[in-house]
Amino acid sequence: MSGILASMIDGLLVGSVYGLAAMGLSLIWGVMNVINLTHGAMIALGMFGMYLLFGLVTTNAYLLLLPVIAAGLVLGIVVYWMAVHWVIGRSELMSLLSTFAVNMMVIGIGTTLFSTSPYNVNFSLPGITIGAYTFTGNHIAAAVSAVVIALALQLFLYRTRPGKAIRAVADNREAAELMGISSTAVLTIAFGIGIALATASGALVSTMFPFTILSGGAYELKSFVVTVLAGLGKPAGALLAGVLLGLLEGALTPFIAVSWIPLIEFGLFVVVLVALPHGIFGRATA
Amino acid sequence: MDLALQLENVESGYGEVQVLWGISLEVSSGKMTTIIGANGAGKTTTLRTTMGSLRAWGGRVLLHGEDVTRLSPHAKANRGLVLVPEGRQLFPDMSVEENLEMGGYSKRARKRQKQNLERVYELFPRLKERGKQKSSTLSGGEQQMLALGRGLMQEPVVLMIDELSLGLAPVLAQQLFITLKTLREQGLTIVLVEQNVHLALAMSDYTYVLAEGRINIRGESDEVAKMDEVRRAYLGR
Ligand SMILES: Nc1ncnc2c1ncn2[C@@H]1O[C@H](COP(=O)(O)OP(=O)(O)OP(=O)(O)O)[C@@H](O)[C@H]1O
Ligand SMILES: [Mg+2]
Repeated sequence: MSGILASMIDGLLVGSVYGLAAMGLSLIWGVMNVINLTHGAMIALGMFGMYLLFGLVTTNAYLLLLPVIAAGLVLGIVVYWMAVHWVIGRSELMSLLSTFAVNMMVIGIGTTLFSTSPYNVNFSLPGITIGAYTFTGNHIAAAVSAVVIALALQLFLYRTRPGKAIRAVADNREAAELMGISSTAVLTIAFGIGIALATASGALVSTMFPFTILSGGAYELKSFVVTVLAGLGKPAGALLAGVLLGLLEGALTPFIAVSWIPLIEFGLFVVVLVALPHGIFGRATA
Repeated sequence: MDLALQLENVESGYGEVQVLWGISLEVSSGKMTTIIGANGAGKTTTLRTTMGSLRAWGGRVLLHGEDVTRLSPHAKANRGLVLVPEGRQLFPDMSVEENLEMGGYSKRARKRQKQNLERVYELFPRLKERGKQKSSTLSGGEQQMLALGRGLMQEPVVLMIDELSLGLAPVLAQQLFITLKTLREQGLTIVLVEQNVHLALAMSDYTYVLAEGRINIRGESDEVAKMDEVRRAYLGR
């Protein structure tokens, strides 16, 4: 197997985690038209949540995803009532500012507690060796976890009553109210799920790479790229677009310095925004 | 007479602009009441304020005697007050089936979801054929059928319909009126806003005429149909 192929496969694995993070951003945008700028901070909290839990109970780190997700859900609900509920239906600038404020608070507190030095989760699963290349066990497990969580979300949104209520509110909030759906309850839950996805992806990243309290920022930016690639408000597309971004990174890393990657990603971001405003899976018309 | 729905001096509007200037309505249980009026008279605003989609600036809304003025639309829907809104307001990214399913969302509607679905499909076989299709891909008339079907799925106690016949073939509109009469005979209370004033006056029990945000004329529909004013302004003779 050639090195570039191996690098692309690894990119694909990591990309599914980007995709999972972007699903959270995309869900929140799709349901309530809020660009959630706490996203990066929540990813970072997911990383440290995993780190702290793993320090408490040394077990298979991937089992600890469940409490991280549960905590993310609760945290999301709290943040919704702190900073989002009051600006629903007002200009998008308001929610940008209020979520940015929460972001700064979390990062501030996080920096005090953890400083900005790197941490890592000391857990590794055996890798899989094919020819001269070994695929890290943690990358495989993280990718599998991301896909499982993404599928679970799809099932929830398309097969369950509360999931359908979320889609109804995303489609037409006023009509959903007419059906007897409490839009406030739905927005609360949807924001909670969006944050839970962010913390889950952060937790997965923490099993793959070292991280600091500021690391969430880089993944937040990737989430924006992925969300725009997929077309805003399309969580299912976000996973796929995340995988594509990972593939692209995998294909590029053998040839260029890692520091160039963000530049290329944002070049792509701008090109897609201008040329395909509905995303690569979207229709040409609105 | 048992009143299902009452509006007392309801005022409302958009932003700074007042549209309703003290609307009072009395809707008797098990009757069909229509509201007619020129474009822009405030019919839709009246229904949306009743539902709570628009905030009432003043006055009260009573449902079976209970003051529900400040309740959110979903709380009213859960009490059986149902609005089939103007402009259909479907869930565009959801299938026809899912739209109907959302109609059966509330606890009270859920109990009879199966029977109601059968009834809706019987009424609009078209919707059954299109079940898996996204509602945004339906024709205008089909979308109107879906909006009505979704409203019927809600197990209404008081059913308010804003523009029943809009976009429907005349035959189907007639047929719907007959269906509504049947439902009324089974005890359903109906409030209808309807462009086809002829049909509305002929089919309903009681009529309110709305002009510039005020109730102008009220009376038994057959009486109202005889009034010169109404004949000239709304029946074109
Ligand atoms: N969303 C809105 N924002 C501002 N003004 C509005 C809005 N909707 C309606 N209006 C105004 O309120 C008044 C009453 O409108 P409404 O929609 O209630 O009339 P209507 O009787 O339902 O008319 P139609 O027969 O055309 O449906 C109109 O003058 C209209 O311009
Ligand atoms: Mg109207």
